[in-house]
Amino acid sequence: MRLLVALLVWLTFAASASATPSALDQALKAGAAPVAAGPQRTERIEAELVPMSAWATPGSTAIVAVRQKIKPGWHTYWRNQGDSGGPTTLSWSLPDDVVPGDILWPLPERQRLQSLMNYGYSDVVFLPVPLRVPASVQPGQILTLRVTAHFYVCSDEMCVPEDLDLALSLPVRDGAAPLDPRHGQAIQAVVASAPRPAGIEARAAFADGRLTLTAVGGPLADAPPKWAYFFPFEGGIIDHAAAQAGQRGPQGLTLTLAPGRGLTANGLKPPLAGVLSTDLGAWEISAEQGAALAGASGEGPIGDGEAAQKLAPGATTIAAFLQAALFALLGGLILNLMPCVFPILAMKAAALSRSAHEPAEARRDGLAFLAGVLATFLVLAGALLALRAGGQALGWGFQLQSPAVVAALALLMLAVALNLSGVFQVGAGLQGAGHGPLARLPGAAGAFFTGVLAVVVAAPCTAPFMAFALGAALLMPWPMALAVFLMLGLGLALPYVLISLSPRLLSRLPRPGPWMETLRNLLAFPMYGAALWLAWVYGRQTADALALLFGAGLMLALTLWLYGRSQTAPGKGRLAVVAAALFLVVALGLGVLAARAAPASSEPSASSAHLASQPWSAQAVQAALAEGRPVLVNFTADWCVTCKINEGAALSSSRTAEAMQAANAVYLVGDWTRRDDAITAELQRHGRSGVPLYLIYAPGQAEPRILPQLLTEGAVVQALKDAAR
Amino acid sequence: MIRMLTVASASLLLLAACQQQPATAPDKAVPVATETTAVAGPGDMAPAFTLVDAEGVQRSLADFKGKTVVLEWTNEGCPFVKKHYSGAMQALQREATADGVIWLTIISSAPGTQGFVEGEEAKAWKAKHRAAFTHLLLDPTGETGKRYDAKTTPDMRIIDPEGRLIYVGGIDDRPTNKVEDLEGANNFVRTALADAKAGRPVQTAFAQPYGCAIKYAETVAS
Repeated sequence: MRLLVALLVWLTFAASASATPSALDQALKAGAAPVAAGPQRTERIEAELVPMSAWATPGSTAIVAVRQKIKPGWHTYWRNQGDSGGPTTLSWSLPDDVVPGDILWPLPERQRLQSLMNYGYSDVVFLPVPLRVPASVQPGQILTLRVTAHFYVCSDEMCVPEDLDLALSLPVRDGAAPLDPRHGQAIQAVVASAPRPAGIEARAAFADGRLTLTAVGGPLADAPPKWAYFFPFEGGIIDHAAAQAGQRGPQGLTLTLAPGRGLTANGLKPPLAGVLSTDLGAWEISAEQGAALAGASGEGPIGDGEAAQKLAPGATTIAAFLQAALFALLGGLILNLMPCVFPILAMKAAALSRSAHEPAEARRDGLAFLAGVLATFLVLAGALLALRAGGQALGWGFQLQSPAVVAALALLMLAVALNLSGVFQVGAGLQGAGHGPLARLPGAAGAFFTGVLAVVVAAPCTAPFMAFALGAALLMPWPMALAVFLMLGLGLALPYVLISLSPRLLSRLPRPGPWMETLRNLLAFPMYGAALWLAWVYGRQTADALALLFGAGLMLALTLWLYGRSQTAPGKGRLAVVAAALFLVVALGLGVLAARAAPASSEPSASSAHLASQPWSAQAVQAALAEGRPVLVNFTADWCVTCKINEGAALSSSRTAEAMQAANAVYLVGDWTRRDDAITAELQRHGRSGVPLYLIYAPGQAEPRILPQLLTEGAVVQALKDAAR
Repeated sequence: MIRMLTVASASLLLLAACQQQPATAPDKAVPVATETTAVAGPGDMAPAFTLVDAEGVQRSLADFKGKTVVLEWTNEGCPFVKKHYSGAMQALQREATADGVIWLTIISSAPGTQGFVEGEEAKAWKAKHRAAFTHLLLDPTGETGKRYDAKTTPDMRIIDPEGRLIYVGGIDDRPTNKVEDLEGANNFVRTALADAKAGRPVQTAFAQPYGCAIKYAETVAS
């Protein structure tokens, strides 16, 4: 390992011209331990020149490092500092013939500062530098190494240039040197992990305002990365602050980058060199100009890892956690009043009416429902947190961004509706007499399942309070985040649970009788509606596969009808069972085909019939503001019922249209029906993790106003008036 | 049996929900919000603005139509600005204004942040720094700075008499705060003004700006 490191250092060695030789220090004390001149300090940074090895060997490469300890809230910078600040520079004064190499820059952090992005370091960082020690130095000598380090140390408020003179006395001895006990291991780790070339082939192409970078081979061919981000060595090539959209392929990856000003002004000047950072490691790449390499896409999108690189924010106070938990509980309660929960209400009502006069059963069902809700929240939230930790840009409701899941849910809703219509029964024979043949799902399992469905279908919409809680939760350590999600589930289930646990409330319901059957048959229709709605969403998500889903639905209905017949007339259903099995196979086949249908290309959908809209992009917002026009941004998704209701009411009224005209406002729609990392990032910027989100930008105001999630015409009109002033 | 199937299908459903659906269309990249035309670059029309100057007078870009206009973003507390205000920036301002160029120095620092000035302090700014600009414009909301996508101090723009941007970006090619680096640096603003005066196309129309981040108004969490 050590040999390898030394060899790599030797390979990456480049003599810099800044060395100014001074006299060789003679020392009599052979083999003395290195005497460092010690750390030098300013108010904001402490720096020290420290050796990796206990001594230097004649004719070898010795590695020393500038160790920085940076005050919290302050940063120093990478070789490309990003949008502001400046890199650390070292000017050496070394004994004769000792030649310094370039800094081996460790992978930088991404430091967002409002609309800017910087690349740099915080807390403690080592900048290792290889020094070539000539063969002529004698064992027993001591090399006095001096360097003036120039740091730009910046906080969000100010930048302070700091110069520190550092020195180190390094003894010369024969033989392989052990690691220096103080910082040797840390430096060795930095040297070993510093990004270096790894045989990755890369190409860059600049066309249509997009810089496309493809990289294949080397370590990228071994395993697909979950996220990737490109740090260019040179400023101005990319827009540092923009999200980087990635695609995975069998051999590597593709990154689509927003061009920087330098690129648009001067064109691409190959090679485009920099560091490709992924969850699997970071490597130096150099891209020649050329068409995209094969095998660099086609296996789905990957994130840029911005969420992953966020350090665990241990600063979440208990107060903030309690506030988020309380808001989550409130949000969950309010969620019951949101339009998106409507399909599920039917199932709840059906279940409630059934067990109204059997308190024990009702209690059991209520608790089972709660368990279903909580378990599903746990699974979904856990998956969301895990995927985000892996650098995927996902938000709440991500399960409905997958056409396969939407297709499955649509078929499931259809089955539930058919059950409520009385086409077939579930668990017939498990129930005692007196419940009629059209029993609902059997007891606890059914209630649990209802809870599961409630969350999967309804939770993607965010309610007031809930949006804040989820936004906050995603920035917390995971146990706290999960607790917040569970509070949300508790809020969602609470009304139902309270009713089930309260015999007095239950006894107010009418006595069981034929009315229950009528009610159940009636309640089937919201479920048919839900199935239709999900099928519509699926149709918007996929290119041309709706027919497959309809076919699967038809076959499923036929299967269930046959199954129902065999239930009511046992003994003469052999043929029916065979036919049912056959139809079921066809239904499943079609369902699988439907689930695997290609997602539609992302075309902006006109989501509101009455307002002319353009697709949202950060640039479109800026462009409109530059013209001095207010901007109304609507982040929506087809599977978000609340969004659709707002669009159908407040956003498409004639008064709103008039107000838009009067304010000369621009209407931008960000469609999150399918996964879109840019939108996910924007939601997150406003502390949200889901839709709907409505923003009004007024010219001259850097930050937008956030409108309520249940929009009223008046609120929109008033906000537009304010913005136009 | 049915009960087991029910539970199994529910769990399958959830598992499916956690699977990312692989995109089968290879060329379907997630769109990155990029519009090259969105932020004004070299060759684009300069965005209009109206700002109050240090004397309290409203100044619009439109007032200077027909003249070459230089925009300079500044913050007196920034070490990179201090380097140029050791005499070089003032000399350039004098040269340019003597040639009839309008030089507008803009402060986009928000109230309470480094570099923000108002009232008497703003009036005294020119004398204090022995500057030779035409006007010192105050942009406390940061609106104009953001409209021009100004990122750092210093960050420079040159607008030709027709209102087109002919230079965008950093002041020179030595991104340091050290005064000795002024010697031998290529000052892009000086060369672009010379190109424009001679009727040549501007050689370097963009250079990466360097300096301190502009202290724009903080994000207001609502």
